[in-house]
Amino acid sequence: MDWQGWLVGIVGRALAFGTPLLWATLGEVYAERSGVVNLGVEGMMILGAFSAFAVAQTAGHPGVGVLVGAVVGGAAALLHAVMTVTLRANQYVSGLALTLFGLGLAGLVGRGWEGTPLRQALPPVTIPGLSEIPLLGPMLFQGQTVLTYVGLFLAVVLWLLLWKTRWGVVVRSVGESPATADALGINVFRVRYLAVVFGGTLAGIAGAYLSVAYRPAWTEGMTAGMGWIVIALAIFAGWDPLRTVGGALFFGALYHLSFRLQGLVAPELLKLMPYASAILVLALVGLRSVRRRGAPSALGLPYTRGER
Amino acid sequence: MKRFGPFVFERRLAPSRTTVIGVSVAAVALALLVSALIFWGYGVNPWKAYVAIAQETLGSRHGLMEIIRRAIPLILCGVGLALAFRARFWNIGAEGQVLAGAVAASGIALFSGILAPWLLPAMFGGGFLAGALWGAVPALLRVRFAVNEVISTLMMNYIMIYIVEWLIHGPWKGATMRGFAYSDFFPDAAKLALIPGTRVHWPTLVVGVAAAVVVAALLARTRLGYEIRVVGQSTDAARYAGISFFKVMVWTMLLSGGLAALAGVGEVAGIHYRLRSPTHISLGYGYTSIIVAWLARGSPLAVILTALLFGLIFAAGDTVRVVLQMPFQIVSVLNGLILFFLIGSELLMQWRVRIAAKGERWTGRAGSSGS
Amino acid sequence: MASGEEVIVRETRGGAGRQCGGQGVARKGGLDMKLLKLMAVVVAALAVVGTVGLAQTKIRAAFIYVGPIGDYGWSHAHNEGRLIVEKTLGIETTYVEFVPEGEVETYIDRLVAQGYNAIFTTSFGFMDGTLAAAKRYPNVIFAHCSGFKRAPNMITYMADFYQLYYLNGLMAGALTKTGKIGYVGAFPIPEVKRHISAFTIGVREVNPTAEVHVRWIYEWFNPAAAKEATEALIKDGCDVFAFTEDSPTVVQVAAEHKLPSFGHYSPMHAFSPDYCVSGQLVHWDKIYVDFLAKIQDGVYTAKNLAHVDYWWLISQAAAELGGESGLPINPKFVAALKDKIVDTKVFGKISVYDLVFARLQQMGDPGVSFDPFQGPIVDRKGVLRVPEGLWMSYDALGGQGRRRSVAGRAVEFNTGWAAASPQAAASSRSRCPGEDRCMR
Repeated sequence: MDWQGWLVGIVGRALAFGTPLLWATLGEVYAERSGVVNLGVEGMMILGAFSAFAVAQTAGHPGVGVLVGAVVGGAAALLHAVMTVTLRANQYVSGLALTLFGLGLAGLVGRGWEGTPLRQALPPVTIPGLSEIPLLGPMLFQGQTVLTYVGLFLAVVLWLLLWKTRWGVVVRSVGESPATADALGINVFRVRYLAVVFGGTLAGIAGAYLSVAYRPAWTEGMTAGMGWIVIALAIFAGWDPLRTVGGALFFGALYHLSFRLQGLVAPELLKLMPYASAILVLALVGLRSVRRRGAPSALGLPYTRGER
Repeated sequence: MKRFGPFVFERRLAPSRTTVIGVSVAAVALALLVSALIFWGYGVNPWKAYVAIAQETLGSRHGLMEIIRRAIPLILCGVGLALAFRARFWNIGAEGQVLAGAVAASGIALFSGILAPWLLPAMFGGGFLAGALWGAVPALLRVRFAVNEVISTLMMNYIMIYIVEWLIHGPWKGATMRGFAYSDFFPDAAKLALIPGTRVHWPTLVVGVAAAVVVAALLARTRLGYEIRVVGQSTDAARYAGISFFKVMVWTMLLSGGLAALAGVGEVAGIHYRLRSPTHISLGYGYTSIIVAWLARGSPLAVILTALLFGLIFAAGDTVRVVLQMPFQIVSVLNGLILFFLIGSELLMQWRVRIAAKGERWTGRAGSSGS
Repeated sequence: MASGEEVIVRETRGGAGRQCGGQGVARKGGLDMKLLKLMAVVVAALAVVGTVGLAQTKIRAAFIYVGPIGDYGWSHAHNEGRLIVEKTLGIETTYVEFVPEGEVETYIDRLVAQGYNAIFTTSFGFMDGTLAAAKRYPNVIFAHCSGFKRAPNMITYMADFYQLYYLNGLMAGALTKTGKIGYVGAFPIPEVKRHISAFTIGVREVNPTAEVHVRWIYEWFNPAAAKEATEALIKDGCDVFAFTEDSPTVVQVAAEHKLPSFGHYSPMHAFSPDYCVSGQLVHWDKIYVDFLAKIQDGVYTAKNLAHVDYWWLISQAAAELGGESGLPINPKFVAALKDKIVDTKVFGKISVYDLVFARLQQMGDPGVSFDPFQGPIVDRKGVLRVPEGLWMSYDALGGQGRRRSVAGRAVEFNTGWAAASPQAAASSRSRCPGEDRCMR
């Protein structure tokens, strides 16, 4: 069996399919680290996808589309932030409402934009030099777009930010115990706003990647449930940016295999494999250490000053 | 407490029922106002639109029956979720639990050989059991393996979806279905009675209302209910009280999953009369009922009302699409708007406005003056 | 238009009458002339009665789609047909999209309450709901797509692609260099399996050792799944692609890898002008206009539809070869197709390019002298399913595939198949519903 070919194929596809998962999950991780659950990822992604496509199609340049997608995603998240942080609303329901609203709005405004491919899509890049390395070259450095590499780089940056800088401490403390952070003079509301909007921006970029690079076209509902996987991945990754890379690649690889192995195994069983595997991995991890992977303690709870 | 001129904003300790309802109604009214703008933007006269919606949904027997029919699965799922949320167990897996019930009911209907009048009760019982087990797995995973329940329940939704796909394309594909992916039709003994002239499978409705009453009583009157409420309020308090998390979590999810599964039984035995594609059996009930349960503020009896409200919203959505001929995405936009207003109004419920009394002074410190 | 024209004929069981369906056997033999005359009288009488009933009321047509019209696939194509109806016949129409299968009756109720008297339900899963509604509203005309149950006020209709897939298969067989052809399918249902089978028959005719690899995505619409399925097929060595799912993803992905593909349902040539070789295009308007015009003229009423079935193919122009209307084969591939020569029984040594057009002609003229499913056909396990000289009957075509087809090498059939004489099958295929009666 051509195991080299298989390896190149699996890792390559894991990177490609994992890129939007990576971007959106990184954002969700930060939002949840600050204590705010955002179930509206699907809505933010699809709004980002449509706006990116529309702008890229009109302007003829995919990069502009990605930027606009980021802004739109952030704006959608701003709505969620206002609801949950200022108005102290239930975060789960607000996120669900955002998903509903986002899917509807994107579909509504997007009517009529289907049927034509994107004029100029984000092109795949081949990294000179590195792509010549046998095995690793074609596996990692060929055929991916800029967004994949930027995403990986961003994951490292965000990890450093979260664990090695004061900013990270601030965000984490707001998520663990907002009252304490507040008493220490940290503006809890501002931190949460920033984290949530940041999360939305990344989700918007993830959506933009889908419509501008991954499959350069627009169709109603094209995110097809990816937002829910992102929410699961944030948990799977233990709210850690580097583990997010692992989780996104893990899921991407399994997703690819669920098609690749269809000649050998029943398709339906293959399709449920990625989801069952995620649970299995978590269960195995949980066997060993119960503490380390806990959620931020204040996750999902609105913070009101003067209240516990 | 804050003061702006002659107005004093005071915190309420716990909003009264009238406040909750009053503010909610105001929120919905505001949402309808904004929706009117959207209608107007589409060239549809908002007044005419609302009249048409009211006529179609509330103004005819058919319309009212449709509201009830749409509410039935939401009542069952909503009650189950209200229970789970009371224990702070975020059950996002109602979608899969509904399907588990549908699968069990279909299996019993098609292959068990049980005859009327025991077939339908067996289907409900078996469905409940299937959903209970499907829901208990995430509970076990959480208690024993510290797996966050949001991800485990979510993943199990997908797993169940593909199990159903496997069944209808494979071992349970109907011999009379000419190769299409459906199970055979159920025998007549497995079909629920309908209110004549409508599609309302009323036995499921009865089961739903009964479930709401039972769960309400469970929460208020039984030891298990008490333990659930304590676990939901404070894990520390629960630990000090010696409450077993394992027992509470597993029982909660057995019940929550089982109730959601009953909705699935109702759908296949009352509407479809066979097992079919999972996305056509459960139309997002698992996710919608999260909102239904939240709106009911965790009260199982109130779930009946909020489920009916959502039935009304869905029926109104149908009207918007058919009568007003607006694109289907509009319905999602409008629903989202209504939700946003409802959610945003929560804060308002916690504050009260009154005119400052003569000579009243504001000490200027947050959290003071009895708030 | 002669072929596909439906007239009601009462059948006699066993005897000189034409009989289709049941066991799917079509017998040779002519029609009983006396019976035909009698029926003509009955038809005329019914037409008069029906005309009086319906021709006075204006037709208001409603279309129920299972998906969004933005899917650029199935529902989109039906909507395009609807728009042409509005323009050509001037009938008032409306549509409801994204209707779950179990909800179709509710929507029909609403539409009927709004005064719509011709309702088209465009998904197999709507069948039982439409039938139930047809029983409840005997004065409303119903038309159900891709199903097999009818009523006095409910017809069935379908524009099928299996012939086009056969032609695409001929081209795919000629263009593949690795001998592996990829096929992305949505769900393993009879329609899709029919397509795959016809496609494979075409491939094998040109390239007897080529393989068709199938990957299922279990959704009608999920671009990411379609993309990953295609990528997986590419990694497995496939170099030509066809598909049955509602998005142009496969065409785009194949083009990214500079591999040829065939569009599906809607014009997808624009998604890859360099690599979209051909495809299948549907024209639902041909059926819609024909049916609605007949209602307007009083030929069809709410009483005489029980045996009306449109099974329209190339010869009725409901299905068209090409990635874009008017472009059966992408000019960039003409040379390659002309270079490949095959040896056929009927035409001798002929280039694939010419073979495609020859077959197109055979299937296009009203006599329909060729069908992809004509014997001898051997299934995956080597069992002879359709003997030489006979054609697969309508019934077997419709119920194809009890078991899943996986990475097909040959084709798979329903165990309840049967064969028929070419003439009988041809005429039955183009006109016969297969169930209990058929029409001329």
